[in-house]
Amino acid sequence: MVLKKNDKHFLQRAAFGPLISANPVDLNISNWMKESAENRPIRVVEKPQITPEMLKASKENAKQIIVKSRDQLIKLNVSWINQIGEPAAALREKMTLFWHDHFACRVRSAWLAQQQNNTLRLHAMGSFRDLLFAISKNPGMLQFLNNQQNKKDSPNENFARELLELFTLGRGNYTEDDIKNSARALTGWAFNPLSGEYIFREKVHDYGIKTFKGKTGRFSGEDILQMVLEDKQTARFITEKIWDFFVSNEIRDADIITTLAETFFQSGYQLESLLGEIFTSTWFYDPRYVGNRIKSPVELLVGITSQTGGEFQNPQAPVFIQRALSQVLLLPPNVGGWPSGTGWIDSSSLMFRMSLPSVLLKKMETDIEPKDDGDANNETNVAGAGRLGLTVNWKRLANIFTRSTAEESLDVIEHFLLAKPATTANKNIIRGQTGKSQNDPEFIQRAFIGYMSLPEYQLS
Amino acid sequence: MKTSRRKFIKQTILGTSGTLLVPHFLKALESQSSGLFPSAEKILVVIQLSGGNDGLNTIIPYQNDLYYQLRPQLGIRPDKVLKISNELGFHSALTGLRELFDDGSMAILNNVGYPNPDRSHFRSMDIWHSASDANTYKTTGWIGRYLDSSCSSCHSAHRAIEVDDTLSMALKGNSIKGLAMKNPQKLYQATHNNFFEAISNQNVVHPGTESTLHYLYKTMAEAVSSAEFIYEKSRVQQSKVEYPQNEFSKRLKTVAELIHANINTRVYYLSLSGFDTHTNQEAQQQRLLHTYADGIRAFVKDIGDTRMEDVVIMTFSEFGRRVAENGSGGTDHGTANNVFLISKSLKKKGFLNDMPDLSRLDQGDLIHQLDFRSIYATLLNKWLEVPSEKILNGPFPVLDFI
Repeated sequence: MVLKKNDKHFLQRAAFGPLISANPVDLNISNWMKESAENRPIRVVEKPQITPEMLKASKENAKQIIVKSRDQLIKLNVSWINQIGEPAAALREKMTLFWHDHFACRVRSAWLAQQQNNTLRLHAMGSFRDLLFAISKNPGMLQFLNNQQNKKDSPNENFARELLELFTLGRGNYTEDDIKNSARALTGWAFNPLSGEYIFREKVHDYGIKTFKGKTGRFSGEDILQMVLEDKQTARFITEKIWDFFVSNEIRDADIITTLAETFFQSGYQLESLLGEIFTSTWFYDPRYVGNRIKSPVELLVGITSQTGGEFQNPQAPVFIQRALSQVLLLPPNVGGWPSGTGWIDSSSLMFRMSLPSVLLKKMETDIEPKDDGDANNETNVAGAGRLGLTVNWKRLANIFTRSTAEESLDVIEHFLLAKPATTANKNIIRGQTGKSQNDPEFIQRAFIGYMSLPEYQLS
Repeated sequence: MKTSRRKFIKQTILGTSGTLLVPHFLKALESQSSGLFPSAEKILVVIQLSGGNDGLNTIIPYQNDLYYQLRPQLGIRPDKVLKISNELGFHSALTGLRELFDDGSMAILNNVGYPNPDRSHFRSMDIWHSASDANTYKTTGWIGRYLDSSCSSCHSAHRAIEVDDTLSMALKGNSIKGLAMKNPQKLYQATHNNFFEAISNQNVVHPGTESTLHYLYKTMAEAVSSAEFIYEKSRVQQSKVEYPQNEFSKRLKTVAELIHANINTRVYYLSLSGFDTHTNQEAQQQRLLHTYADGIRAFVKDIGDTRMEDVVIMTFSEFGRRVAENGSGGTDHGTANNVFLISKSLKKKGFLNDMPDLSRLDQGDLIHQLDFRSIYATLLNKWLEVPSEKILNGPFPVLDFI
């Protein structure tokens, strides 16, 4: 387990930290990016056979469908969280997570949620242009932002507004008239509830003349997307969000972002080359960015499982933990996505996040209760206290991390787990916890729990 | 009381060998405690009924034919209503509030909502928490931004407390966040294990280094010291009033004990959930309203008449329900709803505005008359005494109930 300083920072950001299963001796970034970009669509939800009668069916039937879909959403969530940390897909999954936050949707139908998730994954590292067209015609998105109801005689601006404000240009770079006109252009973009596929409803499309960002014509929805992409501001907006996610939440270097955005625009919105440019730059490894980013709950959870190779005994436990940490995949709070950075940290969430390694790795009891979100159809309190533990092969970890002295072993583990070195005080505290003899069968376990419980482990 | 607080401060300083930000925090406390005692600061208790309480079956327009037409089964018959005016009455489970209403300690605002109402629980709750327009998205809440604006130099985490394990968005500000805890003991235990104490005590974090790591240590230090302070102060307070046996009342009792302990908390936040009554509404709502009203009655009694002059309890729900009942003994998500205010300091009592107009509906839903942010603005300006405009992102008419 030899890790160069820069490699570690790269793996913290491009993946979920260094992994025990992949020991990079000489990490070649472009090779790594290719190797960990495998597209693995998730197919755990079967397409429901919906008949026209079912759509008109009674409330009871509808309720049954919702309950079934909820169980399947849990299944989908668990499949995804298990896949996220796997080395072969790490970068693509991290990008899928990024897009899930950017194009944040709550899709009630598990089938449509899976379809959307796979769409994000397919284009996650390709061209943003393709991604934007695909997600704008995605049934889950059209449903969530009410474009199903966007018709010539009664336009619904919800999707058009978020398209401009949250997905492409950003606030302040369009007018209310632009929203009205783009909503008109997007009328008829809908999906067939029976097949779950995109359809264009000609009859409700507004073929009239629209004015959008100073241009006038009989614009279609595609024309609007095209014009949005022709505006460099879109490249800048996306680059800024990529920056916040991969480089720093706190500091934005305007000059570098300008250069990145320009290249991104010129490349025709190629995401992989944007990421490559970031990861192979020298500034990316500037000490002020290293170990200075707060992990999202999902990053924290996936870090703990993938860095120990642990597996949940109760398959629904990860859903419960996501709820307790206030970030449940597939259920973003709203179209604006999740908080970020220090937005995740308050005194109670921090204390829980720091006790999570003990809960998962020592099977410590927790009596935390996630909030009831008010929805009668949404109860995932399946995994109660004490049933959240991970099964970890500590012997395997001992084989990997044991060195000739306890001190050395601790240093290797610390270097493996923490983005930045621990303070001397913390090193001493952990030494006190682990004991001096690494022949103690619990030595490695205590060391892992110790380092993972430090505030430093909250950072990547 | 005063000596015990001094003693506690002294002990803490001795106990934590010259470290961290604790001195900052204690300094703030010391200066606060040298003033009036007991504290005359006004306190706001926010109660959230999660799931969308059916306001029309809570405050019942028992003379309204439309109400009975739209709710042939769920409509509550006049003889079952606790009549409080010629037109309106309480749900029978609200006997606990009747007394408060009669002695002028309660005000009810009808038809509270916001423009372009959203019928999703999550989104509508988001809007109530963040006090945003229906088409803007914020990651901070109105109480959090109150903390930001009123307390930028405070180093205590407990100016606003949510009695729960996790913190709602309502209490998250940009730089300051409230404290979530089920009870002082649990919080104390969570923060005072050897490991956390050791890392909190033995790391010198220099104030002024604004790195993310510093933020984490600062948050931790504040949690540890708030936990200790609250625990020390509150454990001498044992409520003598009898509360109903349920979780909601337990939390109310915790709030009462903390208020009696004078811990300088300005806002308390509690939730009661289960109001999403798509089916079997009658029994469910009956049970929940009982839990609510009986808990509140005990709480008000516990706080006492004099201290209730410094306390306002505001109760809201993220939306009301569809006026017409559905086919399965329940109601679906709606829009405007009523908000309750309880205090011994109310300047206006009883019903403060008109009852909902059931003949003028928007797609079967009530049309709101009063923006909820007017209530927030009133509480911020007149009760918590901070300018509300910045916190709420704009001016909202201030009401005259306090």
